[in-house]
Amino acid sequence: MEIRSEKEFLEQIKLHQNIIHKICFIYCKNKSDKEDLYQEIVLQLWKSYQSFNGRSAFSTWMYRVALNTAITTTKKFCFFVDTGGLPDIAFDNECMIDLSEEIKLLYKAISQLDKVEKAIILLWLENKSYEEISDTIGITVKNVSVKLVRIKARLAITIKHLQ
Amino acid sequence: MKDIDFDKYKSAWEEEKNFDMKILSESELSKYLKKRSKGITNSFRIGLIIDIILKIILGISSIFLIWLYSNHAGIITLCSILFALTCYLLLFQFKTYDRIPRQEEYSKNLRIFLENKIRFYRTKYFKSVYIIALSNPIIFISGILFYFHFKYSGVRSLDFIDFFVFSLICITGFILGALIQTKQYNFHIRQMEECLNELDDDGIYELILKKQVKQQKILLLIFIIILVAGLSALGYILIL
Repeated sequence: MEIRSEKEFLEQIKLHQNIIHKICFIYCKNKSDKEDLYQEIVLQLWKSYQSFNGRSAFSTWMYRVALNTAITTTKKFCFFVDTGGLPDIAFDNECMIDLSEEIKLLYKAISQLDKVEKAIILLWLENKSYEEISDTIGITVKNVSVKLVRIKARLAITIKHLQ
Repeated sequence: MKDIDFDKYKSAWEEEKNFDMKILSESELSKYLKKRSKGITNSFRIGLIIDIILKIILGISSIFLIWLYSNHAGIITLCSILFALTCYLLLFQFKTYDRIPRQEEYSKNLRIFLENKIRFYRTKYFKSVYIIALSNPIIFISGILFYFHFKYSGVRSLDFIDFFVFSLICITGFILGALIQTKQYNFHIRQMEECLNELDDDGIYELILKKQVKQQKILLLIFIIILVAGLSALGYILIL
Protein backbone atom coordinates (compact mmCIF):
# COMPACT_ATOMS: atom_id res chain seq x y z
CA MET A 1 0.00 0.00 0.00
CA GLU A 2 1.18 3.50 -0.80
CA ILE A 3 2.27 5.36 2.33
CA ARG A 4 0.68 8.76 2.16
CA SER A 5 2.67 11.66 3.46
CA GLU A 6 1.82 13.81 6.43
CA LYS A 7 2.33 16.93 4.32
CA GLU A 8 -0.21 15.79 1.72
CA PHE A 9 -2.70 15.03 4.51
CA LEU A 10 -2.20 18.40 6.23
CA GLU A 11 -2.67 20.24 2.94
CA GLN A 12 -6.01 18.49 2.41
CA ILE A 13 -7.13 19.16 5.99
CA LYS A 14 -6.16 22.81 5.69
CA LEU A 15 -8.28 23.09 2.56
CA HIS A 16 -11.35 21.45 4.18
CA GLN A 17 -10.96 22.66 7.75
CA ASN A 18 -14.35 24.38 7.75
CA ILE A 19 -16.01 20.92 7.69
CA ILE A 20 -14.43 20.09 11.07
CA HIS A 21 -15.37 23.53 12.45
CA LYS A 22 -19.00 23.01 11.41
CA ILE A 23 -19.18 19.51 12.94
CA CYS A 24 -17.62 20.75 16.20
CA PHE A 25 -20.05 23.68 16.17
CA ILE A 26 -23.05 21.36 15.82
CA TYR A 27 -21.95 18.72 18.36
CA CYS A 28 -20.33 20.78 21.13
CA LYS A 29 -21.67 23.21 23.67
CA ASN A 30 -18.52 24.97 24.80
CA LYS A 31 -15.03 25.95 23.67
CA SER A 32 -13.20 23.24 25.60
CA ASP A 33 -15.45 20.46 24.16
CA LYS A 34 -14.93 21.91 20.67
CA GLU A 35 -11.16 21.81 21.06
CA ASP A 36 -11.27 18.22 22.31
CA LEU A 37 -13.51 17.10 19.46
CA TYR A 38 -11.45 19.01 16.90
CA GLN A 39 -8.32 17.21 18.09
CA GLU A 40 -10.05 13.80 18.09
CA ILE A 41 -11.41 14.32 14.56
CA VAL A 42 -8.03 15.39 13.14
CA LEU A 43 -6.38 12.42 14.86
CA GLN A 44 -8.94 9.89 13.54
CA LEU A 45 -8.72 11.39 10.05
CA TRP A 46 -4.94 11.01 10.12
CA LYS A 47 -5.11 7.42 11.41
CA SER A 48 -7.73 6.54 8.77
CA TYR A 49 -5.96 8.37 5.96
CA GLN A 50 -4.23 5.20 4.71
CA SER A 51 -7.67 3.65 4.09
CA PHE A 52 -8.81 6.61 1.95
CA ASN A 53 -8.95 5.02 -1.48
CA GLY A 54 -9.76 8.15 -3.51
CA ARG A 55 -12.94 6.63 -4.99
CA SER A 56 -14.94 9.41 -3.37
CA ALA A 57 -13.99 13.06 -2.94
CA PHE A 58 -11.73 13.82 0.02
CA SER A 59 -14.44 16.02 1.55
CA THR A 60 -17.04 13.18 1.32
CA TRP A 61 -14.67 10.78 3.07
CA MET A 62 -13.90 13.50 5.61
CA TYR A 63 -17.59 13.96 6.47
CA ARG A 64 -17.87 10.20 7.14
CA VAL A 65 -14.85 9.92 9.43
CA ALA A 66 -15.58 13.21 11.21
CA LEU A 67 -19.25 12.42 11.80
CA ASN A 68 -18.46 8.85 12.97
CA THR A 69 -15.97 10.36 15.41
CA ALA A 70 -18.30 13.11 16.64
CA ILE A 71 -21.21 10.71 17.16
CA THR A 72 -19.18 8.15 19.10
CA THR A 73 -17.16 10.65 21.14
CA THR A 74 -18.73 11.19 24.52
CA LYS A 75 -17.49 12.69 27.71
CA LYS A 76 -16.13 10.18 30.20
CA PHE A 77 -18.74 8.61 32.46
CA CYS A 78 -18.83 9.99 35.98
CA PHE A 79 -20.19 7.73 38.75
CA PHE A 80 -21.67 10.55 40.79
CA VAL A 81 -23.15 12.85 38.16
CA ASP A 82 -26.01 11.91 35.86
CA THR A 83 -24.54 13.29 32.65
CA GLY A 84 -27.22 11.68 30.49
CA GLY A 85 -30.24 13.63 31.66
CA LEU A 86 -29.07 17.22 31.35
CA PRO A 87 -30.95 19.38 28.82
CA ASP A 88 -28.97 20.96 25.99
CA ILE A 89 -29.39 24.54 27.07
CA ALA A 90 -25.87 25.50 28.10
CA PHE A 91 -24.66 27.64 25.23
CA ASP A 92 -21.23 29.13 25.25
CA ASN A 93 -21.87 32.81 24.53
CA GLU A 94 -18.21 33.42 23.72
CA CYS A 95 -18.48 31.19 20.64
CA MET A 96 -21.78 32.73 19.52
CA ILE A 97 -20.91 36.45 19.56
CA ASP A 98 -19.81 36.83 15.92
CA LEU A 99 -22.54 34.68 14.38
CA SER A 100 -25.57 35.97 12.48
CA GLU A 101 -28.97 35.90 14.21
CA GLU A 102 -30.22 33.12 11.88
CA ILE A 103 -27.23 30.90 12.73
CA LYS A 104 -27.64 31.53 16.46
CA LEU A 105 -31.29 30.54 16.25
CA LEU A 106 -30.53 27.54 14.07
CA TYR A 107 -27.79 26.40 16.45
CA LYS A 108 -30.12 26.58 19.44
CA ALA A 109 -32.78 24.59 17.58
CA ILE A 110 -30.30 21.99 16.29
CA SER A 111 -28.83 21.49 19.77
CA GLN A 112 -32.21 20.01 20.81
CA LEU A 113 -31.90 17.23 18.19
CA ASP A 114 -30.47 13.74 18.66
CA LYS A 115 -26.97 12.93 17.42
CA VAL A 116 -28.09 11.19 14.20
CA GLU A 117 -30.61 13.94 13.44
CA LYS A 118 -27.81 16.49 13.84
CA ALA A 119 -25.73 14.59 11.28
CA ILE A 120 -28.60 14.46 8.77
CA ILE A 121 -29.48 18.16 9.07
CA LEU A 122 -25.81 19.13 8.88
CA LEU A 123 -25.40 17.24 5.60
CA TRP A 124 -28.59 18.84 4.28
CA LEU A 125 -27.33 22.31 5.24
CA GLU A 126 -24.10 21.46 3.45
CA ASN A 127 -26.11 20.95 0.25
CA LYS A 128 -25.51 17.21 0.09
CA SER A 129 -27.94 15.25 -2.06
CA TYR A 130 -30.27 12.65 -0.51
CA GLU A 131 -28.10 9.94 -2.12
CA GLU A 132 -24.97 11.33 -0.48
CA ILE A 133 -26.72 11.60 2.91
CA SER A 134 -27.98 8.03 2.49
CA ASP A 135 -24.41 6.86 1.68
CA THR A 136 -22.88 8.62 4.68
CA ILE A 137 -25.50 7.62 7.24
CA GLY A 138 -26.35 4.14 5.91
CA ILE A 139 -30.11 4.50 5.52
CA THR A 140 -32.25 4.41 2.39
CA VAL A 141 -32.91 7.55 0.33
CA LYS A 142 -36.61 7.26 1.22
CA ASN A 143 -35.71 7.10 4.89
CA VAL A 144 -33.53 10.20 4.51
CA SER A 145 -36.45 12.14 3.10
CA VAL A 146 -38.81 10.92 5.87
CA LYS A 147 -36.29 11.80 8.56
CA LEU A 148 -35.64 15.24 7.07
CA VAL A 149 -39.36 16.05 7.13
CA ARG A 150 -39.50 15.03 10.82
CA ILE A 151 -36.33 16.95 11.69
CA LYS A 152 -37.55 20.11 9.96
CA ALA A 153 -40.85 19.86 11.80
CA ARG A 154 -38.99 19.61 15.13
CA LEU A 155 -36.74 22.51 14.20
CA ALA A 156 -39.72 24.63 13.16
CA ILE A 157 -41.36 24.14 16.56
CA THR A 158 -38.18 25.04 18.42
CA ILE A 159 -37.42 28.08 16.22
CA LYS A 160 -40.98 29.39 16.65
CA HIS A 161 -40.64 28.92 20.38
CA LEU A 162 -37.31 30.77 20.46
CA GLN A 163 -38.37 33.69 18.23
CA MET B 1 -43.83 24.50 10.03
CA LYS B 2 -45.35 26.34 7.05
CA ASP B 3 -44.23 29.71 8.51
CA ILE B 4 -40.60 28.71 8.74
CA ASP B 5 -38.50 29.45 5.67
CA PHE B 6 -35.74 26.86 5.90
CA ASP B 7 -34.06 28.14 2.75
CA LYS B 8 -33.35 31.38 4.62
CA TYR B 9 -31.50 29.40 7.29
CA LYS B 10 -29.73 27.28 4.69
CA SER B 11 -28.50 30.42 2.90
CA ALA B 12 -27.36 31.91 6.21
CA TRP B 13 -25.46 28.68 6.91
CA GLU B 14 -23.77 28.80 3.49
CA GLU B 15 -22.89 32.47 3.85
CA GLU B 16 -21.61 32.23 7.43
CA LYS B 17 -18.01 33.40 7.26
CA ASN B 18 -17.02 32.34 10.78
CA PHE B 19 -16.57 28.69 9.76
CA ASP B 20 -13.90 29.69 7.23
CA MET B 21 -12.13 32.22 9.41
CA LYS B 22 -10.62 29.89 12.01
CA ILE B 23 -8.05 28.29 9.73
CA LEU B 24 -5.17 26.57 11.51
CA SER B 25 -1.78 26.44 9.86
CA GLU B 26 -0.15 23.14 8.85
CA SER B 27 2.31 23.38 11.75
CA GLU B 28 -0.57 23.92 14.19
CA LEU B 29 -2.45 20.98 12.70
CA SER B 30 0.58 18.69 12.81
CA LYS B 31 0.65 19.11 16.63
CA TYR B 32 -2.72 17.35 16.77
CA LEU B 33 -1.31 14.30 14.97
CA LYS B 34 1.12 13.65 17.82
CA LYS B 35 -1.61 13.62 20.49
CA ARG B 36 -3.17 10.45 21.90
CA SER B 37 -6.81 9.61 21.20
CA LYS B 38 -9.17 10.14 24.15
CA GLY B 39 -11.74 7.72 22.70
CA ILE B 40 -12.87 4.63 24.61
CA THR B 41 -11.42 2.23 22.02
CA ASN B 42 -7.97 3.61 22.74
CA SER B 43 -8.42 3.55 26.51
CA PHE B 44 -9.67 -0.06 26.28
CA ARG B 45 -6.65 -0.95 24.12
CA ILE B 46 -4.29 0.52 26.75
CA GLY B 47 -6.17 -1.32 29.55
CA LEU B 48 -5.87 -4.56 27.59
CA ILE B 49 -2.10 -4.12 27.08
CA ILE B 50 -1.66 -3.48 30.83
CA ASP B 51 -3.68 -6.64 31.61
CA ILE B 52 -1.62 -8.72 29.17
CA ILE B 53 1.60 -7.54 30.89
CA LEU B 54 0.04 -8.24 34.30
CA LYS B 55 -1.03 -11.74 33.28
CA ILE B 56 2.46 -12.51 31.93
CA ILE B 57 3.88 -11.48 35.34
CA LEU B 58 1.23 -13.63 37.09
CA GLY B 59 2.12 -16.62 34.88
CA ILE B 60 5.83 -16.23 35.76
CA SER B 61 5.00 -15.83 39.45
CA SER B 62 2.94 -19.09 39.31
CA ILE B 63 6.04 -20.94 38.07
CA PHE B 64 8.08 -19.27 40.81
CA LEU B 65 5.51 -20.39 43.41
CA ILE B 66 5.72 -23.99 42.14
CA TRP B 67 9.48 -23.78 42.71
CA LEU B 68 9.04 -22.22 46.19
CA TYR B 69 6.50 -24.85 47.29
CA SER B 70 8.22 -27.78 45.58
CA ASN B 71 7.50 -30.04 48.58
CA HIS B 72 3.80 -29.16 48.85
CA ALA B 73 1.72 -31.21 46.40
CA GLY B 74 -1.50 -29.21 47.01
CA ILE B 75 0.13 -25.87 46.26
CA ILE B 76 1.88 -27.30 43.19
CA THR B 77 -1.53 -28.44 41.87
CA LEU B 78 -3.06 -25.03 42.69
CA CYS B 79 -0.24 -23.06 41.04
CA SER B 80 -0.29 -25.34 37.99
CA ILE B 81 -4.02 -24.65 37.63
CA LEU B 82 -3.35 -20.90 38.08
CA PHE B 83 -0.59 -21.07 35.46
CA ALA B 84 -2.78 -22.95 32.95
CA LEU B 85 -5.67 -20.57 33.62
CA THR B 86 -3.45 -17.49 33.19
CA CYS B 87 -2.08 -18.86 29.89
CA TYR B 88 -5.61 -19.55 28.59
CA LEU B 89 -6.82 -16.07 29.62
CA LEU B 90 -3.73 -14.53 28.08
CA LEU B 91 -4.48 -16.27 24.80
CA PHE B 92 -8.03 -14.90 24.90
CA GLN B 93 -6.76 -11.36 25.59
CA PHE B 94 -4.39 -11.58 22.61
CA LYS B 95 -7.31 -12.65 20.39
CA THR B 96 -9.45 -9.78 21.74
CA TYR B 97 -6.65 -7.31 21.01
CA ASP B 98 -6.58 -8.56 17.46
CA ARG B 99 -10.34 -8.02 17.13
CA ILE B 100 -10.51 -4.44 18.36
CA PRO B 101 -12.33 -2.52 15.58
CA ARG B 102 -9.72 -1.35 13.09
CA GLN B 103 -9.14 2.18 11.90
CA GLU B 104 -10.69 1.43 8.48
CA GLU B 105 -14.07 1.20 10.25
CA TYR B 106 -14.15 5.00 10.48
CA SER B 107 -14.37 5.23 6.69
CA LYS B 108 -17.57 3.12 6.60
CA ASN B 109 -21.06 4.57 6.78
CA LEU B 110 -22.48 5.43 10.21
CA ARG B 111 -24.79 2.41 10.46
CA ILE B 112 -22.07 -0.17 9.67
CA PHE B 113 -19.60 1.70 11.87
CA LEU B 114 -21.98 1.63 14.85
CA GLU B 115 -23.06 -1.99 14.26
CA ASN B 116 -19.45 -3.25 14.17
CA LYS B 117 -18.44 -1.25 17.22
CA ILE B 118 -21.45 -2.35 19.28
CA ARG B 119 -21.05 -6.00 18.21
CA PHE B 120 -17.45 -5.92 19.46
CA TYR B 121 -18.35 -4.23 22.75
CA ARG B 122 -21.36 -6.44 23.48
CA THR B 123 -19.50 -9.71 22.78
CA LYS B 124 -15.69 -9.76 22.88
CA TYR B 125 -15.28 -6.67 25.02
CA PHE B 126 -17.40 -7.83 27.97
CA LYS B 127 -15.69 -11.24 28.10
CA SER B 128 -12.38 -9.40 28.08
CA VAL B 129 -13.48 -7.06 30.90
CA TYR B 130 -14.45 -10.05 33.09
CA ILE B 131 -11.07 -11.61 32.30
CA ILE B 132 -9.34 -8.35 33.30
CA ALA B 133 -11.35 -8.42 36.56
CA LEU B 134 -10.23 -12.05 37.16
CA SER B 135 -6.69 -10.72 37.57
CA ASN B 136 -7.71 -9.32 41.00
CA PRO B 137 -8.40 -12.73 42.69
CA ILE B 138 -5.37 -14.27 40.92
CA ILE B 139 -3.14 -11.44 42.26
CA PHE B 140 -4.60 -11.95 45.73
CA ILE B 141 -4.08 -15.74 45.73
CA SER B 142 -0.51 -15.43 44.39
CA GLY B 143 0.22 -12.61 46.85
CA ILE B 144 -1.06 -14.57 49.84
CA LEU B 145 1.02 -17.62 48.84
CA PHE B 146 4.15 -15.44 48.62
CA TYR B 147 3.27 -13.88 51.98
CA PHE B 148 2.82 -17.29 53.62
CA HIS B 149 6.10 -18.51 52.24
CA PHE B 150 8.18 -15.53 53.38
CA LYS B 151 6.35 -15.10 56.73
CA TYR B 152 5.77 -18.74 57.78
CA SER B 153 8.04 -20.62 55.34
CA GLY B 154 5.01 -22.55 54.15
CA VAL B 155 1.23 -22.50 54.07
CA ARG B 156 -0.21 -21.61 57.43
CA SER B 157 -3.05 -23.90 58.48
CA LEU B 158 -6.35 -22.25 57.60
CA ASP B 159 -9.72 -22.67 59.28
CA PHE B 160 -13.12 -22.08 57.75
CA ILE B 161 -13.26 -18.39 58.84
CA ASP B 162 -9.87 -17.65 57.19
CA PHE B 163 -11.03 -19.28 54.01
CA PHE B 164 -14.37 -17.45 54.11
CA VAL B 165 -12.62 -14.05 54.48
CA PHE B 166 -10.15 -14.84 51.66
CA SER B 167 -12.97 -15.98 49.37
CA LEU B 168 -14.93 -12.83 50.15
CA ILE B 169 -11.91 -10.67 49.21
CA CYS B 170 -11.49 -12.61 45.93
CA ILE B 171 -15.15 -12.39 44.94
CA THR B 172 -15.39 -8.70 45.93
CA GLY B 173 -12.20 -7.97 43.96
CA PHE B 174 -13.67 -9.61 40.86
CA ILE B 175 -17.13 -8.03 41.15
CA LEU B 176 -15.77 -4.53 41.89
CA GLY B 177 -13.26 -4.76 39.02
CA ALA B 178 -15.96 -5.92 36.59
CA LEU B 179 -18.52 -3.41 37.86
CA ILE B 180 -16.28 -0.34 37.56
CA GLN B 181 -15.23 -1.25 34.01
CA THR B 182 -18.67 -2.25 32.73
CA LYS B 183 -20.40 0.73 34.32
CA GLN B 184 -17.97 3.14 32.67
CA TYR B 185 -18.22 1.56 29.22
CA ASN B 186 -21.93 0.72 29.39
CA PHE B 187 -22.65 4.46 29.43
CA HIS B 188 -20.74 4.90 26.19
CA ILE B 189 -22.14 1.73 24.56
CA ARG B 190 -25.71 2.78 25.41
CA GLN B 191 -25.15 6.11 23.70
CA MET B 192 -24.00 4.31 20.55
CA GLU B 193 -27.00 1.97 20.77
CA GLU B 194 -29.35 4.94 21.04
CA CYS B 195 -27.85 6.28 17.81
CA LEU B 196 -28.27 2.94 16.08
CA ASN B 197 -31.87 2.70 17.29
CA GLU B 198 -32.48 6.13 15.75
CA LEU B 199 -31.39 4.70 12.39
CA ASP B 200 -33.39 1.51 12.86
CA ASP B 201 -36.98 2.23 11.90
CA ASP B 202 -37.98 -1.44 11.74
CA GLY B 203 -37.01 -2.14 15.36
CA ILE B 204 -34.93 -5.16 14.28
CA TYR B 205 -31.84 -3.97 16.08
CA GLU B 206 -33.67 -3.58 19.40
CA LEU B 207 -34.40 -7.34 19.38
CA ILE B 208 -30.75 -8.19 18.64
CA LEU B 209 -29.71 -5.80 21.40
CA LYS B 210 -32.00 -7.43 23.98
CA LYS B 211 -30.51 -10.81 23.08
CA GLN B 212 -26.96 -9.46 23.44
CA VAL B 213 -27.72 -7.91 26.87
CA LYS B 214 -29.22 -11.25 28.02
CA GLN B 215 -26.11 -13.12 26.82
CA GLN B 216 -23.93 -10.64 28.68
CA LYS B 217 -25.80 -11.28 31.97
CA ILE B 218 -25.47 -15.07 31.48
CA LEU B 219 -21.75 -14.58 30.87
CA LEU B 220 -21.28 -12.67 34.14
CA LEU B 221 -23.17 -15.43 36.00
CA ILE B 222 -20.93 -18.10 34.43
CA PHE B 223 -17.81 -16.17 35.51
CA ILE B 224 -19.09 -15.88 39.11
CA ILE B 225 -19.97 -19.63 39.20
CA ILE B 226 -16.49 -20.53 37.89
CA LEU B 227 -14.89 -18.22 40.47
CA VAL B 228 -16.89 -19.71 43.36
CA ALA B 229 -16.13 -23.27 42.15
CA GLY B 230 -12.42 -22.37 41.86
CA LEU B 231 -12.38 -20.92 45.37
CA SER B 232 -14.13 -24.02 46.76
CA ALA B 233 -11.40 -26.16 45.17
CA LEU B 234 -8.79 -23.85 46.70
CA GLY B 235 -10.43 -24.20 50.12
CA TYR B 236 -10.35 -27.98 49.74
CA ILE B 237 -6.61 -27.86 49.01
CA LEU B 238 -5.72 -25.39 51.77
CA ILE B 239 -8.00 -26.57 54.61
CA LEU B 240 -7.86 -30.35 54.21
